[in-house]
Amino acid sequence: MKKIVLLLSLALCGVAQAQTGVVKPAPRAPTEINSDAAEFDLNARQAVYHGHVVVNDPQMKLQCERLVVFLPKADERLNHIEAQTNVVIDFSDNHGTSARATGSLAVYRYLVQSGATNETVTLTGNPQVESPQGILTGDQIIWDRANNRLHATEQHMIFRQNLNQSIGTNTAPIKLF
Amino acid sequence: MKSHSAYFRVFTGALVFLLAAGAVRAQTNVLADVKDLHATDFTSEQYFEAPNEQLVKMRLSGSSAEPLPGGLLAVKRLKIETFGTNRVMLAVVRAPQCTFAPLDGVASSAGHLELQSGDGKFHVEGEGFLWRQNESSLTISNRVRTVIEMPK
Repeated sequence: MKKIVLLLSLALCGVAQAQTGVVKPAPRAPTEINSDAAEFDLNARQAVYHGHVVVNDPQMKLQCERLVVFLPKADERLNHIEAQTNVVIDFSDNHGTSARATGSLAVYRYLVQSGATNETVTLTGNPQVESPQGILTGDQIIWDRANNRLHATEQHMIFRQNLNQSIGTNTAPIKLF
Repeated sequence: MKSHSAYFRVFTGALVFLLAAGAVRAQTNVLADVKDLHATDFTSEQYFEAPNEQLVKMRLSGSSAEPLPGGLLAVKRLKIETFGTNRVMLAVVRAPQCTFAPLDGVASSAGHLELQSGDGKFHVEGEGFLWRQNESSLTISNRVRTVIEMPK
């Protein structure tokens, strides 16, 4: 299965700015999660929000039917979250360009191995990322948050300026923003 | 999306209180002491095990606790505070009223529930809840709203 790396703008979510430390982060609005119901299972170490789950964050809005947070042990950071069923993620870059990612499952994983940080969001179940420039689809779309790159397996890209023009798996990296 | 990991870190920290509560599930129900009484402005405290037996682990209070048929208790203005061994408050839970079954360790209400972390960065509220102490589970059944203050 071939992969390409799509060079998303570093401004995808302002990650680069936050990591450089050059610009002091301004006070930000709180993040809000709304759902029909929620369950906290302490034995299973899970927090489950379900029913019209909406996460409103200053930098993105996530909607799904079920949000599962796997609670880490003490002194560990959160490393596993799943947004399930009808997942929709709306986000904007620093220039206000908006994009929408959809799929049936979005899995967030955080792992440090041999000093390297792997932080990914994997979108599956007819995943798609749509921006003003085009639409990206694939078997799965993986957002490598540590490197701010988007990987797609069995990817397919359609440009908006010419929807008849599609690009196969061997094309050069594409800048979405 | 940078905030994603950040807010989940906050979220996780805020849920520490729940884990702490789970750790005490096998211990005596603090309200069992008042099951046959009409108590007003009551407070009951639970302590850590040795070597921290002098430190309060959970403080449960209410404006009143009255017996109901079936060995239940009607508790008004319920407030549960949980603490760490460093004496810092981990979280506080408030409910205007609830029904508590001391023998089963089950508290429930169709009314409002609020939960706030000790640092004030995590707040959850909803309508209708069920707390199963033996299973260490909390269900909030309607209109769940969670607000997480992000690091500045």
